[in-house]
Amino acid sequence: MRSVTTDPELARLAEHISRYGAEELGMTLPECRFFILDPMEFAALLEKNVYPTSPANIWEGKRMLNKRRRIAQGQESALYYEVVQTGNPSYAYLNETNSALTQASVMAHVLGHCEFSELNVLMDSDRDRTEQVMYLVRKVELARRQMGERRYIDYWNACESMIPLISPNAQYNLERSVELEHRRTEKRERKGDSEAAPAPPLLNPVSSSLNELFAGDPVAPIAAAEKKRAKAENLSRRGYRLRTPCQDVAGFLRAHAPASRAERMLLEYFYVSHMHQDFVIRTQIMNEGWAMYWEKKIMLHLFTERMVTGVIDYSRVFSGVCYPRPYYQRNPYHLGYHLWEHIEEEFRTGRLSLEYREEPMRDVRDSWNRPSQRDPHEYMRQLVSTITDYEFLRRYLTTELVEAYHLNRIPRSHGAALGIREDDVLRADRHWFWIDPEPIQKEMLDFFTHFGRPRIYVIDDDFLDGGLLLFHRDDGRALRADWIRPTLNNLKSIWKAPVYLLSQKYLHGFRAGKYEQQQVQCPTFEEVRERMRDDRKPFELE
Amino acid sequence: MPDRISSEESEGLFGDFIDEKLSDLVERAISEGELEQAPGDGSELIVEMDDIAPPEFTYGDTGGGGGGGQGPGDQGGKLRFGVSFDRFMELAAERLNLPDLTKEGRGKIKQVSYEFKTFGPTGVVLDRKRTFKRAVKSSIAVGEYRPDEDRYTVSIRRRDRRFKQPQRIEKPRFRAACFYVGDISYSTYGDRLELEKRLLSFIHHWLDFNYGHNKVEHRFFVHDVEAYEVTPDEFYQVSNIGGTRASMAFDLVARVARNEYDPNTTNLYCFYVGDGELLRQDAAEIVEIVQEQLRPAFNRLSVVEIKPSAHSCLVNFINRQFNEDRKVRASVMHRKQDVIPTIKHLLGSGRA
Repeated sequence: MRSVTTDPELARLAEHISRYGAEELGMTLPECRFFILDPMEFAALLEKNVYPTSPANIWEGKRMLNKRRRIAQGQESALYYEVVQTGNPSYAYLNETNSALTQASVMAHVLGHCEFSELNVLMDSDRDRTEQVMYLVRKVELARRQMGERRYIDYWNACESMIPLISPNAQYNLERSVELEHRRTEKRERKGDSEAAPAPPLLNPVSSSLNELFAGDPVAPIAAAEKKRAKAENLSRRGYRLRTPCQDVAGFLRAHAPASRAERMLLEYFYVSHMHQDFVIRTQIMNEGWAMYWEKKIMLHLFTERMVTGVIDYSRVFSGVCYPRPYYQRNPYHLGYHLWEHIEEEFRTGRLSLEYREEPMRDVRDSWNRPSQRDPHEYMRQLVSTITDYEFLRRYLTTELVEAYHLNRIPRSHGAALGIREDDVLRADRHWFWIDPEPIQKEMLDFFTHFGRPRIYVIDDDFLDGGLLLFHRDDGRALRADWIRPTLNNLKSIWKAPVYLLSQKYLHGFRAGKYEQQQVQCPTFEEVRERMRDDRKPFELE
Repeated sequence: MPDRISSEESEGLFGDFIDEKLSDLVERAISEGELEQAPGDGSELIVEMDDIAPPEFTYGDTGGGGGGGQGPGDQGGKLRFGVSFDRFMELAAERLNLPDLTKEGRGKIKQVSYEFKTFGPTGVVLDRKRTFKRAVKSSIAVGEYRPDEDRYTVSIRRRDRRFKQPQRIEKPRFRAACFYVGDISYSTYGDRLELEKRLLSFIHHWLDFNYGHNKVEHRFFVHDVEAYEVTPDEFYQVSNIGGTRASMAFDLVARVARNEYDPNTTNLYCFYVGDGELLRQDAAEIVEIVQEQLRPAFNRLSVVEIKPSAHSCLVNFINRQFNEDRKVRASVMHRKQDVIPTIKHLLGSGRA
């Protein structure tokens, strides 16, 4: 691993691209550090979640050995297009076996990701991310010595089960789901400043207690007072209260599970080093499309300036990366890039305006060309800073674009597996058939409700005397049965008390050290949410 | 930033995990596996074990209870590993606590190999122990590691690293010859044949592993009332029902060893398997041959009675004469579970 400054040619290119991006294209860029790696370093970097160091563990070793074997057998390429850890500074890695042309395109692409990370609505970019993870790695190594090998490995393995439960950007994330004592106090203080003087008594002169009696339902104030007292007691005992289901289960464990300092370091490392994957999955189409969009602009400039050569080769690679795939395979490069191009074009011709939307005449709409005074890039950057993939597709992916981008074009060989019948086919040729584009936008949007993973929530942290109750939001699919028990066991060793899971009709959990699966009347997610809002137990065993 | 991004330590941990699992499989492979079919040096044993993955809540329809326990879960698939035969034998040696065989001889042909005997600040293979020792010394020197002040930091600096340096080693080439003697007058089929094959195939591989492939001459002898040499294939196939005289075979082995090998340059081994049903006079003659002709020249002599009967007496005769002898060993095998203890007894403990 060496800095790009050790290669004068690449260093010059990197500097030129960064300057061009920032000054000519107006990109908002953090400091971007480029490093050159050999192919096996690249493979190792990917296994370390794109951080240069990680604590040694058998899972990484297993994946790496497998990768090494696959590369040796030619089943996998050691050439990776681009690898970047965004943040400020951002760390981008170049493969030393790549040609100068590819290195330039990788650098240009990386700048797109860096800007997206800086501007996006989820506020992904943070300071010294890589440095922080490297610091945590050292802390975890220290924790290993403090805990002893056996306990360390057990705890590490337990934390591995927690990774898919990291959801810092979910609707029901930690911040929205858990009320903290100090946050509540702050809120009260803020509220206190703006609070108006108490309302004047209804009848004068009388005692305030008579006023209350005449004011309305006499039971309501008592119930409200009890609820307030229960909340206060709950908060004062634990320092927090679950007010809605919490989908960031790992975040909850990290914040509230009882743990030694060494264990807390492991929880911290796992959470911090994996939390950005949630941002990636929620913005992948916009993010990759944004990177491709700016990459192309920068590369065209480099070709014009004759700083790199090989425009035909580049076009071939570009079209390969942006090759259209069916909607269920979601090629984010293709879809994102074309949608950004489409938005730019629509904005330039004024079709993203209210007037265009409200124009009833078809021929006027078709010939609409009323350029806006604003720079389209400004509008596009505003989108980046306000929406994620879900809204991006909901707003801009129309039925016409589904057809134009071939999202409804299915290879014939996939037909049977997808259960497509002859009635569903609009037209066909030797290799493909086309299905109705209408429902495809909804299909693609549905993905963003679950991301292909089960939705698991913490709904009670005092279930059956201190147990943690998890809730699987039913979407008609069962969890893998033989992994429920070991996963609960792993989570139990983090929570240091029994952990239960409500999934479909069953309550799974360990009671007195014995695993049990019990048939119960499982509430719906909405019922759970309502009960929690009313400060009631979300689920109780009859 | 590190000098190099590497997962070697993690790969090493996974390798250790696999070795641990393999070590558990060694005894099973010897007593139940088809070791006799392994082609020896340069080949690989394919070992299968349950694949592992961290368990998580995921969609799937794998039913049943299963799972359980902390840590790795069963992914349902299989991990397949090619384990080199040498590595397998090393693990067997560790597991069964077998010593290295003494390599004696003054072979003129030199054998070249590379060993890691010296260490330097640069190289490919990091010596963790030495590196750590130096790191501790440095940390003490700069005051980072001071247990009396509750400071336990040990920093590994670049200058602390010590790498193993390959060194060219020339050694005389050792030779060995092993004589396998079988009694074909008893019913060598079914369980008996299987036990015999397991024991002798392990010995065969063990000697190959210790001396190197093609450096051990394996010779097979059988006897009824006569003794004669056979091919390895015939050794397990020929049979005869009738009288028996094992001393003829021991005599033949002594003559072959004396006439064809120089005990000063060759390590000689002899393993006898049979039911031990011999005439007392025959057994006494064997003891005499072993004592006078074989024991002085041979590194190890072993007699194994497989599924012996009430009339079997050879092991008793041998034990009476050579009790706790470091060269002459005798053992009895009744069932498959006896293979491991027998191997330990015949090849283990003491100088072989």
